[in-house]
Order: sequence, then structure tokens, then C-alpha cells
Amino acid sequence: MKEQSIKLTEAEAFRSSTKRAENWSLVARGLTWIALFAGALVFIMPLYVMIVMALKTPNEIATTAAWSWPRDLTWENFDLVLSNPNVSFQLFFRNTLTIATLSTLGVLVSSSLVAYAFARLRFRGRDRLFIMLLSTMMLPAVVTMIPTYVLYKYLHWVDTFYPLWVPAWFGGGAFNIFLLRQFFMGIPRELDEAALLDGASHSTIFWKIILPLSGPALATVGIFAFIYNWKDFMGPLLYLNSPDKQTLELGLQTYRSLNNEQWNLLMAGSVLVMIPLIVLFIVGQRWFVKGIVMTGGK
Amino acid sequence: MDSTRRRLAAAATGFLALASIAGAAPVTLRFTVWDGDESLRVIRGVLKQFEKEHPDIKVRLENFADYNMYHQKMLVTYAANAAPDVAMMDMGHFQALAKRKAILPLNEYFETTPGFDIREFYKPIVDAHSLDGLCYVLPRDIAPTGLVYYNKRIFREKGIPFPDGTWTWDFKVRPELREKDFLWVMQQLTEKGPDGKVKRYGFVSGWPGQTVDTLTYSYGLKTLDDYKRPTKILYDTPEMRKIYDFYIDLALKKKWIPSNTEVSSVLQSTTQQLFVQQKVAMFQNGIWEVPNMRKMLKPGDKGFFEWDIALFPAAAKGVGGKPHRGYATGGSGYSIFSSTKHPKEAWELVKYMSGPPGMIAMAKAGIAQPAIRKLALTPDIWLPGPNTPLEQRYPANRIATDQAVPYVEFGPTADYWPEVAGLIDGRRDSIYNGIMTPAEGLKIGTKEAQLRLDQLLREEKLPPFPWPAGIALGLAIIGGILLAIYWPERKIKYSYREKKESLTAYKFLAPWLIGLAVFTVGPMVLSLLMSVMNWDMIQPAQWRGGKNFHEAFVEDPRFWISLRVTAAYTLIATPLGIFFALLLALLLNQKVRGVPLFRAVYYLPTITSAVAMTLIARKLFAPEGGLVNSLLYSPVMKPIGNAISSYAGTPSEPVNWFGNEHTAMATIILLSLLGVGGAMIILLAGLQGIPHYYYEAATVDGANPFQRMKAITLPLLTPALFFCLVTGFIGAFQVFTQIFIVTNGPNGGPNNSMLVYMISIYSAAFATLRLGYAAALAWVLFFIVLLFTLMQMKLSKWVYYEADAK
Repeated sequence: MKEQSIKLTEAEAFRSSTKRAENWSLVARGLTWIALFAGALVFIMPLYVMIVMALKTPNEIATTAAWSWPRDLTWENFDLVLSNPNVSFQLFFRNTLTIATLSTLGVLVSSSLVAYAFARLRFRGRDRLFIMLLSTMMLPAVVTMIPTYVLYKYLHWVDTFYPLWVPAWFGGGAFNIFLLRQFFMGIPRELDEAALLDGASHSTIFWKIILPLSGPALATVGIFAFIYNWKDFMGPLLYLNSPDKQTLELGLQTYRSLNNEQWNLLMAGSVLVMIPLIVLFIVGQRWFVKGIVMTGGK
Repeated sequence: MDSTRRRLAAAATGFLALASIAGAAPVTLRFTVWDGDESLRVIRGVLKQFEKEHPDIKVRLENFADYNMYHQKMLVTYAANAAPDVAMMDMGHFQALAKRKAILPLNEYFETTPGFDIREFYKPIVDAHSLDGLCYVLPRDIAPTGLVYYNKRIFREKGIPFPDGTWTWDFKVRPELREKDFLWVMQQLTEKGPDGKVKRYGFVSGWPGQTVDTLTYSYGLKTLDDYKRPTKILYDTPEMRKIYDFYIDLALKKKWIPSNTEVSSVLQSTTQQLFVQQKVAMFQNGIWEVPNMRKMLKPGDKGFFEWDIALFPAAAKGVGGKPHRGYATGGSGYSIFSSTKHPKEAWELVKYMSGPPGMIAMAKAGIAQPAIRKLALTPDIWLPGPNTPLEQRYPANRIATDQAVPYVEFGPTADYWPEVAGLIDGRRDSIYNGIMTPAEGLKIGTKEAQLRLDQLLREEKLPPFPWPAGIALGLAIIGGILLAIYWPERKIKYSYREKKESLTAYKFLAPWLIGLAVFTVGPMVLSLLMSVMNWDMIQPAQWRGGKNFHEAFVEDPRFWISLRVTAAYTLIATPLGIFFALLLALLLNQKVRGVPLFRAVYYLPTITSAVAMTLIARKLFAPEGGLVNSLLYSPVMKPIGNAISSYAGTPSEPVNWFGNEHTAMATIILLSLLGVGGAMIILLAGLQGIPHYYYEAATVDGANPFQRMKAITLPLLTPALFFCLVTGFIGAFQVFTQIFIVTNGPNGGPNNSMLVYMISIYSAAFATLRLGYAAALAWVLFFIVLLFTLMQMKLSKWVYYEADAK
């Protein structure tokens, strides 16, 4: 972290490393890979079980172990889930996508603004307002549910998507603000101080310096927000009534009603619901792999 | 809020009066059910027919298949004056609404509707849905649990005639009665290997309490003095102990019944699967198992065997030395919310859905036994007849469902009962698991539950809540918070530049501050006011003051249990989770082949739906045949397995992870570790944010990997770690969803070992409708978490912010 050492280039650093270190790192990499692989087997188990159960008939689910490979593999469950007129997958997919996209955008825009103020600016009541921010996470939603519901009813928002995405544009939630604030505080202050001296405004610093340097953090928040809204159950359950406004998570419940769990369909549906999230994650990963590329240095 | 509701209602009525003058547009009814996919199809069909026959009525079907959440939604929407017109209801839930006049008594309609005769319905099910002589739910079905599903193939193989329902059970085997003795049959059907290990059990109960309850009723016993208004708990009697001893002997010593069943209430699908796998020869349950059974056992499929149902045996010397039967029973029907503007049309709908059209459709689909007797006895509707298609032939002996009706019994339905039930049911779990003897379990459970019941029954004279003072107090609280935020800084003078910066900051904060004022502050302050109320969401609120808090700290045993359980979870799961997340993040930050794929894999459990995840976990952790136990009790791992078994208090049995009070929470914690993906991503993003040249520079300076870790990685990662710790603890204190799904509702799991704090709040709010008390509990939690967080912030000197470094 010494100033002079920062000036060294990558090439110099590479040359100075010894042969011994290289060998060591090869062994370390091998061990790392083995450890990661072993752990991955455990972490992939749930998805694996979901997939094999989605490929079995009810009879086979009842008579074989959950993790055994299907005897007579069937795609029927996926067909049924996709074509069930009771639970219109396509419609619910559109609804869920609308809600999740709108709220993710809201979260990204508003939480980064608020986080910037908490991370970079000095203002009256800052520290105590920050505690206030955190404390909004601490009260169980069960007890604010009815007042909130009454409020939305007043606004004529019941049975619309508004309660599910509009609040995201007003702060985006304490969790996301806090997360971004932590990352913004990790960005060296010299950068924006130099810009300030050059006469840049805070909004310029926010847009031109902080946001471009926060790719990984923004990607994280974006992915979290999207997944949260995609999987949210309680919100849609409370605020949506019409059959044509339901979301995927609500729709899946129809396959596990009281005393009648249709495992095959439930699992097929769950796999389908997960696919967009997996795609999103893989795409979003590119952002946080890139990391901060600081060309300016000093 | 009550005045608000009243005003809203008045406005709506006025509007309606106008509308009715304006013209006769078709009335639209909102109709809510909790049915799943299959019954939903049937209901949709019936509704189409209904609309055709009633052109002036349109029905909008709303469906919420999650049974627990359904009732919660009904309460919330009714409290907010947005309830549907007609809703599905059952005996466990109608009473709370009926007592508060939230649903309409239907008797008036019974009498004034030509051609309608309530006497056509099975009387017991109508009575079960009545309170003080008024019926509030028109039953659509009746479902006695007094049925034994049996495997005909095994009976044939053993040369035992099929049961005709005339069999009996006594406390000992009576070989002289042969197939007329249930225990003898059970013994004959049980098959043990040469090593004494059971290969096939004779019988299994639908869920652990079910058969015991049936035995209790058949023996002429009552568990409470009055199921609708219980005041005395009657579990601790010699007769009751005899039943439990008997059952435990069958399960744990004779092993004719599998001992380790799953967590209390959701194992129908598990016992049913044991039956389909032919690992048990008979099981007890209600008729609702049939649709699934037909799907799993299709004639012609591999593994198909013939099966049927029979009446559960009578107790040989049940009452007065004579045979006696008693079957716990379920059922459901439709109610009309009193907030409806179209009661007449609503009744038309109820009458149709819980009348011949609805019942015939449901019965033909094999979903529900009609509550109208003559329909239940008509061939080709419910009973199989000449025109019944082959796949609907099973079970043939459907007449048993009608034979069971005279003996139906109904368990507790009082609205305050759930709060007490957890205390006695927890001990019953310990008894079924062999952790407590029936004598001590029933004694302790009864004592604890009776104490709580007495507290709840104590009458309180409470004044109405003083709303003007309450609102003033609310405003004062908001003022106080503002003061607390700005007062300490009043003496700090800001320069012009600083003032400008402060102003800019508030512009950046604006979205949050507006959101806070509009969406958050109001509900939070109201919930604070609620914490000194006695409020059931429906009736006008009353002032209860500090009694809510007194009740929590001094009286309610569940408060301390849940606090202890939550503390254990939070203090173990959070640090452990962050440790694993850090480890994974460090490994996944290496330049190793396939890292992007690994990252995705480790994140997978986090994006899996909690429901699917929990259901799968139950399979993997199942005591018999679960993957975990198959590995753990394999020859190599056996010593570890046995050690865990004896820790769980059930030596020589495979450990019942979710069902055993000693291991349930540990299993939840293990499961929570699969969800470290979120923290892992945050830490990974933090790692990625560390500029490469720091490492390069350090390498040049000769730092080894450990030094680099200590000097660069960990310090620069502290902001992200701090975030994970703070939010991790806040989240862990409020852990809820996963446990709620595992325990299938707010019941705390085996002996309340999974009764986390949020479950006790939830159960106070939505199981017993004491929202005031729930709010008090919530605010206690709030202050605990706040203190905990403030402490962490005070101790956050270890967090290194690059932005602070100069």
C-alpha cells in the first residue's frame, strides 16, 4: 500500500516472483479445485433432486428414492405445467417479470443515491439517521402488515402491481442502501476530492466516479433485488387478488394444496421458475468478475 | 383505524345505493378458495355452470392454495375492509370470525330458501360449523379420519380375509378373534427379517397424533372439557396414559408401527408413500388421500397392487364395556363475509357450491365426500357404480365413509386454542419420539397448558383505546425521534460550504426520506400503539397498556422458549454462515478452472424456492431411507450415526432429524448453511473490488500469501464483512419462512424446539388473533435487535474504510 510500490507494473511484479512460489500455487490451485468440487456436490444436490423428481411419474416418485435417476424419464410434467390453464405459466411469468424488473430498477437508482449521501457527504443527523435506516429492518413485517394494507387500500393500490414495485423507488430498502454504502466507503476518497477541487458537483462525482467504480456492488444489489422480487410470496399474496395478476411463486402453490402435494408438477414448476434466475446470475457474474479497474492511479 | 373502516364502509354503502338506482348491471362476487390444481379445475367448471344459470351474477374466483397463508390473508383483508364476498372456511377457523360477526349466520337463509333443507346434510358436520345454534359455514364435504387403507395383496398372501369394518382393538392381542382383532392383524402383517429388523410394518398412523386421537375418542375419552370453549385440559388421567402407553408399546417395543415418523403434522404424503412402497400394509387417514393414491397406483402400472379402505376398528370395551368408535373429522365449506354488499347473491353462490351441483362435481372427481347424505349414497357420484371409469374404481368400499359418520368427533376449534395447543402437543411429540414417558409427558404438558389456558380465559375489563390520545402519542413519538436525531448536533455550527453539502446530501436522501414518511413511519408508529392495545383486527381496539409486556415476560412460557431457541439459532447460524461464506468467497476468487460455474453452483440453493428446498431437505433427512441417514448408518459411518442417535435420546434408532427435539434446530442450521450464497456474493464483490496492484506491490515486497491475506485482503474486506454480520444477525433474529414450511404452520415443531421468535409472533397475530400482543412481542424483538446492532457498531473499530484513510 505504500505509494512507491503502487507504481510498479504488472510485468515487474510477475518477473519478481520466484519459481518456488509458482509450484506452490499450482498445488494450491489443485487443492482449491478439489475442495470446491466436493462442496459443489453438496450445493447442487437440491437442484439435482428437483430435476430428477420433475422427470418422474407420481408412481415413481412414491416408490423410488428421491435422488435416484428416473427409470422411465418423462417430460410430461413440464408440458403439464406449461400448458395448465388453471395456472397460466406464461401470464404469471410476464407478471413476475414486470414486477421484478420495475422494482430492481427502482432499487438500483434510489438506493445508490441514498448510499452516496451516507458514504460521502457530511450532513446534519447523519449517524443517527443511519441507525434509523437500519432500524427499519428490525421490526417484523407481521405487525405493520395491516396498517400498510390499509394505506395501500387508501391509495387504491390493492390488486395492482404498485405496492410491489413503487416502494422500491423510494430508497430501495435499508439492506441495499447499507450494502452500497459499505462499498462506496471502500473507494478511496482521493478520487472524488480531486474532482471536487476541479469544480465537479456531487452529482457528477456520483455518476462519473462512484458508479463506474461500483460495478460489482451494483451487480450484487441488482441480482439480489431481482431475485428477492422474483421469489417474493408474501407481497403478491397480500396485495394481488385477481387470477390474472398472480405471480409464479403464487402459482406454484396450487401444486401443493392442503393434503394434495403434486410433487412432480411442483418440482417441474420450481425448475422452470429458477431458470431465469440462473441465467441472470451467469450474466450478472461478468460484472463482478471485472472488478475495479483503476487506470488513474497516481 | 376502526373509525377509518367505518367511514370507508359508509362511503361504500352510499356509493352502492347510487349504483343500484343507476341500473341493474350484473353483480360481481369475489369468491375465495384454498383449493389446489385439481379441485380448482372442478370448481371452475361448476362456476361456469352457475354463471349460465344466474346471468345477473358474475363470479371472480380468487385462489390461494397455501392453507395457512389463506387464513392470514382473509383476516388482513377483512381488517382492511377488503374481504371477498364468499370464502372457503373450515371448523378450525370459522369460530374466530363468527364470534366477531365477520361472517354471517346462514340459518335465516336455510329457512327462507324454498326447497332447501339443511337436514339433508350430515348433522355432525353442520353442528361442527355452528356456534350457539347458528350455522356459519355451509359444509361442502365431510372427512372422517376413521379409515384404514389396506393392501389387498398382502392380506391375500397372509391368508387373512379383508376387513369388513367389524373388527375391534383391545389393549392386548386376542388371537382367538383372528381377523376380527386389529392387533392380531397388525402382528400378522408385520414382517421381520432374521436379524429382527422390520421389513414391513403392519400399520402406520397418518400422523403421530392421529391414531392416538382416534384411540382416545374410541375409548370414550375427551381431551378437553368442551371443544368449542375449553376450560379444562384432560390429558393427565390414568385412562389417557393407558392409551399412550399402549401406542408407544406398539411403536417402540413391538415395532408393528414405525416409531420414527416425521415432524408432527405434514407427513400424510410420507405415510402414503410407505404404503405405496409396500413397507406398511395398512395406514389410517381420511378420504382425501384418494386422488393422490390413484395417481401413484394406476391399474396396469408397474408396482400396482389392489387396495381398499375399511372402517377403523372399534374399541372392544370402549364405553360401558361395549364396543365404541370415535373418529376425528375434518371438513370445509363456504361462508359469507358480513362485509358483502350482495348477501342474497352470495347465498345463491354458497348454496350452489355447497349444494348438489358443487358436491356432485367434487365427488365425481374423487376429491371430497359430499356433505349431503343422499348424494354420498348415490352410485356413480360418490359410491362406485356400473358407469364409474376404471381409474376411479379404487377404493371400492367407499360406503365406509358413510358408515363412519355416526362416530365422528370434532377436536378443539376455539380461537384461543392454538396458543395453548403448542404446549401440550410439544410434550406429545416427545412421547411419540420416546424421549419422555407418557406419564411424565402428559403430566408436564397438561400442567403447562392448563396454566396458559387459565391466563387466556381470565376476563379482563378493558377500556376502549383512546384514539385521540393515541394519535397524539404517535405524533409525539415522531417528534421525539426527530429531536433525538437533530438535538445532539444543535450546537455544531456549519460553514457555508458545509451547509451547502448538507443540503446536497438531503437531495440525495430525498427518495428514501419520502418513502420513509409515506410507507414506513405511519405503519411503524401504529404498530407501536398496537403494542399497548388489545386488538383482534376486527373489533374496536381496547387499551391494555403494559399488560401485553407483562404477559410476555412473566406469563407466557412460549416467550422464553422462543427467545432461547432464536438466540441459539442466531448465535450459531450467523457466525458459522459468514465463516463459510468467507471461505467460499476466498476460494472462488482464485484463478481456478471453472470458477464461474462453481460460483453459480454455490449460489443455486439461494435462488431455489424455499418450499422446494424444504421439501427436498425433508426427503434427504428422512429417518428411514433418507440420503443422510443411508450414509450415516452405512457400515463405515455407523459409529458416528450411533453417537448421534444416542445424543438424540433414541439409541438404536436412525435419527429423525426434523422430528426429534434434540436435532431439529441443528438440522435447520445445517440447512441454513446451504444459503450462504448471498453473503458469499457480497464478499466476492468485496474481494473483486480490491485493486490488483496492491497484491502485486506486496508480492514485490516479498509478502507471502498469508501476509497478503492479513495485510490486504482482510482489512479491505472488513466493510463487506461488517455488512454481512450486521444484516446477518438482523435477519437471523427474524428467521421464519423455512421453519414455517418445515413445521407446516405456526406450531413450533417437536416439543417447540423450532419455536423461533417470529413463529410465536405469527401465531399470536394470526392463529389466536391477538395482534396487540403480537405487536408487543415484535417491539421487544425490535429493541433486542437494535441493542445488538448498536453494540456491533460501537465495536466496529476493526472495520477499515479506504475512504477514511488519509
